[in-house]
Amino acid sequence: MPAVRANHLYKVFGKRASQAVTLLSDGRHRDTIKDLDVTAAVIDVSFEVQPGEIFVVMGLSGSGKSTLIRMLNGLLPPTSGTVEIDGTDITALSRRALRALRGEKISMVFQHFALFPHRSVLENAAYGLEVRGVARAERRERAAHALDLVGLGDWKDHLPQQLSGGMQQRVGLARALTADTDIILMDEAFSALDPLIRRDMQTQLIQLQAELGKTIVFITHDLNEAMRLGDRICVLRDGRVVQIGTPEEILNHPADDYVARFTEDVDRSRVLTAASVMEPAAGADAADWERVEPDAPVAELFQRVASCDGPLAVVDEQDRVLGAVSPTAILSALAAPEDAVPAPAGGERREEARR
Amino acid sequence: MSQLLPFPPRLPLGEGFEALNTWLKTHFGGVFDTVGAVIDWSVTTLRDFLTDPQAAQLTALAALVLAAALVRARPVPVLTVVGTATALYVAQAAFALGNTLVNHAPPHLFLWAMHLFGQDSVDANLVIGIVALAALAAVAAVHRVRLPLVGAVTGGWLAAILCGWLLFDAVPGVIAQPTATLTMLLLTALAWAVAGWRLGVFSLVALTVVISIEQWDNAMATLALVLVASLIAVLVALPLGVLAAYSTVVSRVLKPVLDLMQTMPAFVYLIPAIFFFSLGAVPGVVATVVFAMPPGVRLTELGIRQIDREIVEAGEAFGAPPLKILTGIQLPLALSTVMAGVNQVIMLGLSMVVIAGMVGAGGLGNQVYQGISRNDGALGFEGGIAVVILAIFLDRLTAAVARRAPQARTATA
Ligand SMILES: Nc1ncnc2c1ncn2[C@@H]1O[C@H](COP(=O)(O)OP(=O)(O)O)[C@@H](O)[C@H]1O
Ligand SMILES: [Mg+2]
Repeated sequence: MPAVRANHLYKVFGKRASQAVTLLSDGRHRDTIKDLDVTAAVIDVSFEVQPGEIFVVMGLSGSGKSTLIRMLNGLLPPTSGTVEIDGTDITALSRRALRALRGEKISMVFQHFALFPHRSVLENAAYGLEVRGVARAERRERAAHALDLVGLGDWKDHLPQQLSGGMQQRVGLARALTADTDIILMDEAFSALDPLIRRDMQTQLIQLQAELGKTIVFITHDLNEAMRLGDRICVLRDGRVVQIGTPEEILNHPADDYVARFTEDVDRSRVLTAASVMEPAAGADAADWERVEPDAPVAELFQRVASCDGPLAVVDEQDRVLGAVSPTAILSALAAPEDAVPAPAGGERREEARR
Repeated sequence: MSQLLPFPPRLPLGEGFEALNTWLKTHFGGVFDTVGAVIDWSVTTLRDFLTDPQAAQLTALAALVLAAALVRARPVPVLTVVGTATALYVAQAAFALGNTLVNHAPPHLFLWAMHLFGQDSVDANLVIGIVALAALAAVAAVHRVRLPLVGAVTGGWLAAILCGWLLFDAVPGVIAQPTATLTMLLLTALAWAVAGWRLGVFSLVALTVVISIEQWDNAMATLALVLVASLIAVLVALPLGVLAAYSTVVSRVLKPVLDLMQTMPAFVYLIPAIFFFSLGAVPGVVATVVFAMPPGVRLTELGIRQIDREIVEAGEAFGAPPLKILTGIQLPLALSTVMAGVNQVIMLGLSMVVIAGMVGAGGLGNQVYQGISRNDGALGFEGGIAVVILAIFLDRLTAAVARRAPQARTATA
């Protein structure tokens, strides 16, 4: 059973929303129903997120990401369609039952941190448990543990304003971790941070995920971030899903020009792995080649492939040779794939990105 | 042609208003009487406390402050103490139970108190207060919560009692108005603690001036009236402001009503106020409440509406019910704006006191009004100066509270 299931979700703001849904379900673009005076934020979105997966929703500003994620925990009711959490249709729940479900199953991390400025870091982290009525001593202990986990053990009694942006978002993360829900929603959680700090936070999230095995729905407008974090990525454009796939699928088989133009800016060497660029090594004598793991990013192979004479051997855990990575293989994989359509002109692309 | 009605016809607006008032008074006279009695009692009690503070009242006040500060951290013992003390106060008021207890206790237990306060009998209310205060301080000490505050409050209480003893018994005759001086020192200490030494010094000097121009009792009567009126105004404004923040419809309906309340010449309120509550402090308070309330509503609404949407969402996302979001997130974060509203309410209330003086509300307004009617410039001026001093004192004090409140206007995007 998927942890999260979105089933033909629509969210249209405005009085004549249901009329708009009918039109949109026939495939009309949202700009063609402007005369209805509605904003179609999310249009016919369906996906499933498996337990333990990091599912990234990627799209430009205004593509409906925040609206979508807020429907997943019922902060916004969908205009049409259903959301299932562990098999429960949350759109059919009463307000009270929905609140209980949020408290137990889904927590959220916000773009601008959304910490409570009048509560200490520890009290912020303990909030979810406080809402659930957990006794004071226990919730403080668990919040302290989560703060230790994100490296803020020494800042418990400070107020959020006294912390830097990166640290504040760690508190936001600790607040979600303390609530101890299986699902965490993250709406552009790292977008407001400086690039270096953002990288640290991404690394930390990947590590935490490896330890705790949460189901994470992560929203971003940055494809590099999506590629780095996501087990699978859902690309949104103007409220509709353009493509859902693994980072490599998106990179190597973009669904259309739009996705292809995005992928141009991606550092392919960090997304592609040894396994995805290797060539068959059938019959070759790989005994004294250097060994690499299949999921090593290509970026980490440059140095090694350059410093030895032969190719690198990609081996599994039993040291069986799966394939060979040669400098030529790397170079040709780094070039954009043939079926990915190149962008027409640089100027137009930048304009698109700004919109 | 001459039979045609003139256009526009005369609209009986004023008559309608009168009729409505009469209808209200005949059908709900009891309600108005009760409300009036409560207001009257509050103003009188507060005025008496401010003009002549009793050690028992000071002690009860200190205990109340401690209880409020500690109740969240240690609810069970604190509420037990407060409940017991309240029961004892009630028993004392109803059957003089405290007196019986005190009279049967070993006398030397209370001799020190009799000596300290120069009385020939022990005030049972004072004993109850001291026991409650000590119990609360003990709770704080045992659990080590909010010790600095507890120290400050008990220390301040001791200082006030000592001060009273000094003024009344140790150096009798030196201070012309010992009760006024005691209250003045208490207000100064409050200003110092809340707003810093500048306001402390200002209070010391300015309030001494009020004493020396012999307007102290009037100033305290006015202060009591303004505080009660402001309290009522805030109690009404807060829920209205919350409703307006939650519902655009309520907000739209309230807006013109508030505009009307604020721009209608304040004198106009006096007529129905007297009609409902007869002369005295009560119509003054009621007219002041109506006139001073609008900024309280407006700024409460603004304070809640301007909170970063994401922060409220965060509460919802963790499953907090609406009431917990209101009391735990929205009201605390709106507090600085709400306090700005309270500040305006108090200022508007003060500006009403002279008008309220016309209906016999007493206090400084009365002095000014007498100055006008007797053509006594000196009296009017002294009354006016005292109003100004009160205004500055209250303004700076509430502004300081507003500054201390947490800010929630983080970046929105
Ligand atoms: N409450 C709302 N009322 C009307 N329109 C809204 C509302 N919330 C979002 N929108 C519109 O929906 C679209 C998608 O918004 P959003 O989900 O915030 O996008 P993103 O998070 O991808 O930037 C935008 O055009 C936005 O203006
Ligand atoms: Mg967004």
